Amino acid sequence: MSISADKVLDAKGLACPMPIVKTKKTMNELEPGQVIEVQATDKGSTTDLKAWAESTGNQYLGTITEGDVLKHYLRKASEDELSDESPHPHTATLEEVLNKLDGNEKIKILDVRESAEYAFSHIPNAISIPLGELEQRFNELNPEEDVYIICRSGSRSDMAAKKLAEKGFKKPINVVSGMKAWTGPTETSVEK
Amino acid sequence: MKVAIIAANGGMFDAYKVFNIATAAAATDAEVGIFFTFEGLNLIHKEMHKQLPMPAGTEHFQEGFKRENVPPVDQLVEMAQEMGVKMIACQMTMDVMTLQKEHFVDGIDVGGAASFLHFASDADITLTF
Repeated sequence: MSISADKVLDAKGLACPMPIVKTKKTMNELEPGQVIEVQATDKGSTTDLKAWAESTGNQYLGTITEGDVLKHYLRKASEDELSDESPHPHTATLEEVLNKLDGNEKIKILDVRESAEYAFSHIPNAISIPLGELEQRFNELNPEEDVYIICRSGSRSDMAAKKLAEKGFKKPINVVSGMKAWTGPTETSVEK
Repeated sequence: MKVAIIAANGGMFDAYKVFNIATAAAATDAEVGIFFTFEGLNLIHKEMHKQLPMPAGTEHFQEGFKRENVPPVDQLVEMAQEMGVKMIACQMTMDVMTLQKEHFVDGIDVGGAASFLHFASDADITLTF
């Protein structure tokens, strides 16, 4: 049975750590969800690729052996799957957030969607820092303050909450399940 | 993941220990920094890192390195840099050995012990070779 892959990487004849290094580089060219076939002769490559996949959040599918050649199959994780492993412990529901806004409670809302998504519709007074920029811009926020983090579905915000917790923020809260289910007030920063 | 490495020895085996871990870590999305001090400076010295000595009595392994297609050290250094591995050469050792920044491969930083400690202060893994 042949397994179809979106990309084949020839790492035959290469010693550790080259199969991993090449896999990483090639993986960067793939779209989330795509599958790579890594051909290697390094006997350590099976355990190494398994471990690498676990560390990076990608999915190790399996290995088939053809003569001296090991064919490893891995699937590039998509954003949604990356956060499934161990979700950030602090969450709030959309309703809880809405109640706080209705009660005129001053809460800090951080919107981590791309700026274009934010521009079309966001919760009034929400701050926009796309997830990809958070690493550079987290110091725009006060680490002592509760931060309610929202995205479209609750997955990017989960990653953002973990990142802020890592950066020493006292209480980042992931708002589930995101703007796609939000029924409260919104505003826009573009002319529709 | 953040990995902080001290490279304090200048043999060929030391180079592989340092750069294999560093490149594997960088390929696993880790932020990696290496502090080169004393003989460790050889590993990034422009000329020396291309002809690092093997430990006495192990010269016969040369053949094995070839057979197993292990990349030469200078190639590993280049790869590590390409993947964003931060390299800091120890200022104090450089002064003692009268070495200048120009003696080393391009793209390295020069710093003191505090620079490394600052980098390592929130590392998940710290290694010394």
